[in-house]
Amino acid sequence: MLSGCNRSGGQGITLAVGGAPNEITVWEQLAESWTIRSGVEVNIMRQPTDTDLRRQGLIIPLKSQQRDPDLFLMDVAWVAQFAASGWLEPLDRYAAPGTIDTTAFFTNILEQVDRREGRLIAMPVYLDCGLLYYRRDLLEKYGYTSAPETWYELVAMAVKVQALERAERPQFYGFVWQGAQYEGLVCNFLEFAGSAGGGLAFENGQVRADTPANLMAARFMHGLIYDSKVSPPNTFTEMREEEVRAVFQQGDALFERNWPYAWSLHQREGSPVKDKVGVALLPHFPGGHSVATLGGWHIGVSVYSNCKEEAAGLLAHIVSDSVQVTFAERLGWNPARRDLYDRRELQEKLPHLDVLRAGFAAAVARPNLPYYTQLSEPIQRYLNGALSGELTPDAALEKIENEMQQVVERYGRE
Amino acid sequence: MLQAIRDTHRYSPGELRTALRFLAPLGLLIGIFVLLPVLGTLAGSLYLDTTFLERRFAWFDNYCGLLTDHTFLQSAWFTLTFAAVSVPLELALGLALALLMNSQVRPLGLLRACVLIPWAIPGAISARTWELIYNYNYGLANALLGGLGIVGEPVNWLGTGAGAFAALVLTDVWRTTPFVAIILLTGLQAIPVELYQQAQVDQAGALGRLRRITLPLLRPIIIVALLFRTIDAVRVFDIIYILTRGGPGGSTTSLSLYAYRNFLGGDFGYGSAASALLFVVALGLSLVYIKMARKLKIKMR
Repeated sequence: MLSGCNRSGGQGITLAVGGAPNEITVWEQLAESWTIRSGVEVNIMRQPTDTDLRRQGLIIPLKSQQRDPDLFLMDVAWVAQFAASGWLEPLDRYAAPGTIDTTAFFTNILEQVDRREGRLIAMPVYLDCGLLYYRRDLLEKYGYTSAPETWYELVAMAVKVQALERAERPQFYGFVWQGAQYEGLVCNFLEFAGSAGGGLAFENGQVRADTPANLMAARFMHGLIYDSKVSPPNTFTEMREEEVRAVFQQGDALFERNWPYAWSLHQREGSPVKDKVGVALLPHFPGGHSVATLGGWHIGVSVYSNCKEEAAGLLAHIVSDSVQVTFAERLGWNPARRDLYDRRELQEKLPHLDVLRAGFAAAVARPNLPYYTQLSEPIQRYLNGALSGELTPDAALEKIENEMQQVVERYGRE
Repeated sequence: MLQAIRDTHRYSPGELRTALRFLAPLGLLIGIFVLLPVLGTLAGSLYLDTTFLERRFAWFDNYCGLLTDHTFLQSAWFTLTFAAVSVPLELALGLALALLMNSQVRPLGLLRACVLIPWAIPGAISARTWELIYNYNYGLANALLGGLGIVGEPVNWLGTGAGAFAALVLTDVWRTTPFVAIILLTGLQAIPVELYQQAQVDQAGALGRLRRITLPLLRPIIIVALLFRTIDAVRVFDIIYILTRGGPGGSTTSLSLYAYRNFLGGDFGYGSAASALLFVVALGLSLVYIKMARKLKIKMR
């Protein structure tokens, strides 16, 4: 082995992770135990919580071809950019049977995200998808027996419950979701659109975004704020994940669209909605089916690393059965391995694993293109403009398609 | 007065050598940390330079792209109007505060401390504070105005382009007026008291003294304050990143935020071109101010 990577050599390998303090603690313990087990020193490079800042903190060293970090976590939305930039070391030669068993994972996700031109360039660490949270106690109180199947059922329930609950809680809203101008809005839109049979399509260099199904979704989102008024007026200014979670957790909403992380916080000691929350797949439009946008974080080895062998060893460990169970138990992270969803001890800890498995199997990845960030930009901007009432949903979609087309023409000719 | 800015003195070669020796370290630092990055950005802006496509020289393609890019033009317009509205407000309020601090108001120490607090708070933190003020559900603004019965329904302050613009201007004015006030205060304190005494003998009123003595003598320092504030205003980033992230509907995207998003998306060439245009705008405005200052200097001789 070439120097430097083993404990005796000195500097070891560097793993870039981010997130909340409790997540960092788990990573640090993982690094320590791996050092004891393998003799490879692991340095934790601590990144901020904010996704944009985490990406910025990786682009800079990678663009300048630095050796550190040797391996790092990536949001699913930027794996394609990193892969096309040639920053990710292909893992195939490290993925011998027994090290990384790719068959244990959700194949649709590996194919959509982690394989590029037939080569494995990353592995999922944990998965996210959009879910519907609902107040079981309130549905029961008003005589509903189950969560809504279609968006129209959701609106009908929300209108009724909101009107009656407001007698006691003037700030009560039927449905909260992410409508602020940021990436989360695109995730929400893709779920509404997908469940109407729409989405973003690319055919022979032509973008198809201004379609009847997408228009139906955009008008529906607008209507939630202005027609049925079951979503609050600040949906398009302040509603990001945490704001949405806070409103629901305070008991001020009947339905919430959020990622799986919200579950353990809703269930936390002292939470006003503890033991009153149910989780379901998101509703769909009549004739459509439920769609969840795929989120989550993936891990890859830097092509500039001088310790690729050791980095890949740690990567294999991170996606191994035992570590995935640790993540699920201690952080509530949903395993990327499909086989874990049958484990009894995990099902007790994460009671909606069945819903999640169905969600992940039907999850839709955002367009897996290296210039996805640029494509997302007009969607965020014009859709948010439509939600703010400054332009119509129809005009917004027309502009979105035009600008996405410009982006494709700018970057799409490889 | 103001003799300090007269440069009639001629330096001997020995003096010049000494001066150069003192200036060299600073010049080196500016060269490495200011000039090189600027030149690097300018050079980079001539390349098609994304992390995910082949890098190639592209002349002015990036600039042509920007000038037909609706979002870029919108963010340029936003940035300029933001500076044009916030800087004069900061100047007017800063002047008022400086006059107050320069007067005999008691307790002076407390007043100065209060004025300085917003300036001492890091920008990102004051933006977070204002976020809590503007918040629709839990914000102080809605609580106060609702409590006083001024507004019935809570107001979504950041919900319209105009509202978000005004909110950003207010935040910027709040946090940078102290800076203007302190700069102007140093200018006020340099004005000889005799002039005011003389004016009182001539029975000039307060307004007359302000117009005839204070403002003309303060003009060079006003230009310095304007220079700093304008350059800062066209580079505005932190309060926007925190308060609106460019929304609603992209109406509050500043040039810095626009360039940042391009870097984040891996397009360094396009982002560099946007930064270069931002630099040109800032440089152009600075030159205007410097020219104004120079004219003033000649007039005062």
